[in-house]
This record gives sequence, C-alpha cells and structure tokens, in this order.
Amino acid sequence: MSLRTRAAGASPLMYVTLTFVVLLSAAPLYFMLVMASRANSDILGIPPPLLPGDQLVSNVDRVFANADVQFAEALLNTLIVASVATLAVVVTSALAGFAFAKLKFRGRNVLLVVVVATMMVPVQLGLIPLYMLMTKLGLAGGLASVTLPFLVSGFGVFFMRQYAAQAIPDELIEAARVDGASTLRIFWSIVFPALRPAAAVLGLLTFMERWNDFLWPYIALDFDHPTVQVALSRLSGGYYTDQALVMAGTLMGTLPLVLVFILFGRQIVGGIMEGGLKS
Amino acid sequence: MSRVVFEGATRVFPGQERPAVDHVDLEVADGEFLVLVGPSGCGKSTTLRMLAGLEDVDDGRILIGDRDVTRMPPKERDIAMVFQNYALYPHMTVGENMGFALRIAKVPKADITTRVAEAAELLGLTEYLDRKPKALSGGQRQRVAMGRAIVRSPRVFCMDEPLSNLDAKLRVQTRTQVAALQRRLGTTTVYVTHDQVEAMTMGDRVAVLKDGVLQQVAAPRELYDHPVNLFVAGFMGSPAMNLFELPVIDGGVEFGTRILPVPREALTGAGGSTVVVGVRPENLAVSHEGLPIVVDVVEELGSDAYLYGRADGVTPPVVARTDWRNPPVKGTTTHLEVIDPDAVHHFDPVTGHRLGR
Ligand SMILES: Nc1ncnc2c1ncn2[C@@H]1O[C@H](COP(=O)(O)OP(=O)(O)OP(=O)(O)O)[C@@H](O)[C@H]1O
Ligand SMILES: [Mg+2]
Repeated sequence: MSLRTRAAGASPLMYVTLTFVVLLSAAPLYFMLVMASRANSDILGIPPPLLPGDQLVSNVDRVFANADVQFAEALLNTLIVASVATLAVVVTSALAGFAFAKLKFRGRNVLLVVVVATMMVPVQLGLIPLYMLMTKLGLAGGLASVTLPFLVSGFGVFFMRQYAAQAIPDELIEAARVDGASTLRIFWSIVFPALRPAAAVLGLLTFMERWNDFLWPYIALDFDHPTVQVALSRLSGGYYTDQALVMAGTLMGTLPLVLVFILFGRQIVGGIMEGGLKS
Repeated sequence: MSRVVFEGATRVFPGQERPAVDHVDLEVADGEFLVLVGPSGCGKSTTLRMLAGLEDVDDGRILIGDRDVTRMPPKERDIAMVFQNYALYPHMTVGENMGFALRIAKVPKADITTRVAEAAELLGLTEYLDRKPKALSGGQRQRVAMGRAIVRSPRVFCMDEPLSNLDAKLRVQTRTQVAALQRRLGTTTVYVTHDQVEAMTMGDRVAVLKDGVLQQVAAPRELYDHPVNLFVAGFMGSPAMNLFELPVIDGGVEFGTRILPVPREALTGAGGSTVVVGVRPENLAVSHEGLPIVVDVVEELGSDAYLYGRADGVTPPVVARTDWRNPPVKGTTTHLEVIDPDAVHHFDPVTGHRLGR
C-alpha cells in the first residue's frame, strides 16, 4: 500500500471492515423492527423471519392499550425525569468544571479528587441507603426520587473541567475581567458559549443514561409512576411473554432516543468542526 | 488626572525565591506613552498585569490617578488591556467584542452603537463590524483588540506586545498608527515590548527592566546617549554597542594604535586598572589608523552596511557602520577609528555602572 492511497482515503479492506461493523451494530435495531411488526407466532418460527411484517401498528396499539403497563404515562415520566436531570447536569457540570479549570481557590485540588472519587462508587452500593434516604424525605415512589439523586454528576464535572481547561485560554477570561465582567457574567457570556460542544455531548450522554436507567427506578418508583424501562419490564412479566409486544414497546422506548440523537448529533458535529477551525 | 505610579511594587510567584518584579518605582505622567522593555522573562508582562489587576501585588503600592488600586479587582481600575494574542471573544462579532465592556457597564444601547461605530471608523473596521474574529486577518484582529480598548475611554491603556503577532512590514506600519492614535486620544499608556526598536520609536519614555529590576527610565534619546549601565548600553540599539574592556594608560585607553582620551571623572570613578569603553557602530569608521580588525562579514541593508570583524584581545565581534557604496572586503585587515570621542561611553568593569556623564 503506497503512502498516497493511505493519505487519499481508506483502503477497500477498511471499507469492508467498516461496513461489517456498521451492519453488526445496526442488526439488533433492525430485528427489533422485524419482530415488532410481526405476530408472536411468526417470530418463533424456524427459520425466523428476516423482513418486517405488517402488524406494527396493531402491536404498538396493544402496548399503549395495556392499562397495567401505562406506557404513554411512562414515556412522559421518563421525558420529564431525563430532561430535568440532563439540564441540571449540564448546568452544574459546566459551572463546576469552569471553576475547577479556571478559578483559583483554596482546596481546589482536594475537591476535584473528591469529585473524581464519587465516580468510583458503584451505583448498586448506594441503592439501599438511597432508598432509606428517599423514604425519610417522603419522596420514595414519586418521580422526584429518580430525579433528585442525578442532578449532579461527578463524571460531568470532570468532563467539563477537562474540556474547559484546554478550550478556553486564560487571556479570554482575563480580557472579560478587565472589561468589567463578574465571574458569573464571564461564565454566561464567555465560558458557556465556548463549552457548548462539550455540553452537547454531556447532555446527550446524560439523557441516554437517564432514559435507559432501570434498576433504581424499578426499586424506587411505585406502581403509578413507571418510567419507560420499568413499563417495558411489565410487558414481559407473567407466564407467557408476547415477544412481538415486548419488541413493539422497546421500539417505542428507543425511538425518542434516536430522535434526540439525530437532533443533537448534528450540533455536536457542528461544534467539533467549529472548534477545529478556530484554532 | 490619570497618572500611574508604582511604589516599590513587588511580585513573588508562589514557590519561587526571586521576585519576578522587584521593588519597581515608576511614575507615568498623565497622557504619557511609557514603554516597558527588556529581554524575555524579565518581568514586563508581570508588571503590566499588576497594573491591570490580573496579578497580585506582594509588596508596595500601585496608584492610578490618586487612587490606590493595589488591592482592587480589574473592573474597578478603569483600565483597558490589549493582549498579545488579542483574546477576542470568538463567538461574538467584531461589534459585540468592542461593545462588550459598555454592555456590562449598562451603557444605553444607542450610545454603545455610536461609540462602537466611532471607534470602528477610527480604526478602519466599519465594514467588518458583523464578522466573527475567525473571519479576520491578523492585522484586522489586532485592530479589533485596539478598538475594544478605545471604545471604553479608560484612564489607562495596558498593552502587552500587541504587535508581536504581525508580520514585519505590518508591524512597522501599525507601530506608527498606534503611537499616533495614542497621541490623539491622550490616554496614559503602558506598553510592553521586547523589541527595542518599538521602544525607541513609540515611547515618550522608556523603562528598561532586567530580572525584575528597573534599570533606567528615560526618554529614548537619553537612553541611547546616556545608558546608566552596561546592560542598558548593550540592550538598546541595533546592532548593539561595542563594549571593549581596555587598560588605562595615562589619561586614556589604548584603542589599537590610538589613545582614546577618557574624561577625568570617568577615570577616578573606575578605580581599577581597566575601564569598559562603549562605542556605537555608527561612531566607528574605517580608517588607516586605530583598532586593527579582520573583516568577517559585511551586512548590507540597503541604506546602511555593517561590518563585523575580530580584533586582538577583544572577545565579542566588533561592529561598525560603513559606507555601503564602498564596503571593505571580507577577510582583509582594516582599522577602525572613533569618529566622535565625546560620544564614547565608559563603564565600571566591576559594577557595570556608567562612569562620568
Ligand atoms: N504564573 C506564574 N507562575 C510562576 N512564575 C511565573 C508566572 N508567570 C510568570 N512567571 C515567571 O516570572 C518571570 C517574569 O515573567 P513575565 O511573563 O513577566 O516575563 P516577560 O518579561 O513578559 O517575558 P516575555 O518577553 O517572554 O513575555 C519569568 O521568570 C516567569 O517564569
Ligand atoms: Mg510577556
């Protein structure tokens, strides 16, 4: 392989490999669609169906019609919980990340170590104390119990700190200071716009994490306040599992994520491009 | 009244023993253009940043006007700063960049627009007001940085090597523009540079700094004609002054085949048996008498030519300005003679201080 072909573009082998990887990662999504659009009996047949059927609408209808599952309410609940948590994480992480990266204060390094250390505690370890805490606060069962613990994220703070440290020159902040801006003003007018690409990435990751979270909501929420993942688990409960129904529900539970990804993914790529040109 | 006063201003960075800025006493008159010059790392930027409030003052005081600003944050000092890399806000347009300080000061919108437009007019930026900094050339960005400072009509301009990112030609052009603009606005200005040509051409007065210690503050001419010590003598002027350490022989020093007279007050000051004699390249001429040298290089600059040569017993190469129409040939031996003995400088070889007037 000559240097020139390598510089000009990927080799055929690279294309084949990449195509294979793309197919591999798209396959589960595709078969989700296939299964969601067929009758349960079709799915279990041998050989299994490879093409989508025509029962998608009726399957989806059955998901939403199930009173035990409360799927529509679950979608709305999850949207609220994930949005609030995402907004909060982005704002607090940007604020704290900026402070850790660009402000001098006593105990800065110790505090940062503490923040990073919180990332090392497994979630499962915190479940029982957290449940007791929520009960004491009188929040157990409601949406607040799955929102409140996730308004601040150690990872988010660390992530924004790393980005702010390299993306914002000190002179920019000093220039704003000389221009008379307060620290908070500097954050909103100068720092946050520069952090937007990282904020978009963090927002997306947080939204996905909250949307897909199962264990804690399953424990904390009562029957009347399910999130999407909890509702999905109810679809497959019982003696007999209707795979088509579960897949239709999963499809409905995944679509919003795909939508968010399409909307924000563009912004992220845009942000990365902008950053590249600036330097 | 917006004079600037440094009184024993000192900055010691944490974990360092030597101060980066060491008891600097300096007074800048109202409306004066003062240039801070010195080699890299001598503490110029630190001094300026102390004035701007971006660096702590560990000892001493700083006054702007009659106010002691030593402990004030930048925004209370009413100063504007131009940074070496301009530090323009990347997501704001040129107009927003220039108006940012006014917006924070809650100046009415209409006023901001007029003042920004005026400054833009002054700097030839009117057609770029809606562009983002990344769509500007280096020279245009530099002007936006200037504009951001001008719009505020501050008491003091602080400029940290604002021209160092421009190419040589543009730098020379902008140099005169900045100086002219400052005269016009009459705003007290402290200007940092490591370029002694900038210092000589722009400043009303020049302050020379070395290792955080102020060496001399004087008008450019005075600095050039009467440097107070060896450091200033060697730093100001390009090519640099020739410095010869020569033995003292009855009332003068031996300069090749000639005896250079040394004023009595210089000799008594010297005390020892040698004295450092400083001769600028333009004060040396090719002759058939004087200091014999071997010509190494002849540098022709168009209007001038400089010859670089070696002389016996003198370590650094000797530089002399010569006639560009008729330069000496490389490799030959020639003699250099002092044109004006009164313009020769004398320094104490031990302390480096100037001897005599
Ligand atoms: N934040 C800092 N922490 C520790 N030391 C510093 C800091 N800033 C500057 N110094 C040191 O202080 C001294 C003076 O630095 P300063 O930036 O003022 O030099 P300068 O004269 O502006 O040099 P240059 O022409 O290279 O910009 C240097 O020795 C530098 O290493
Ligand atoms: Mg500097």
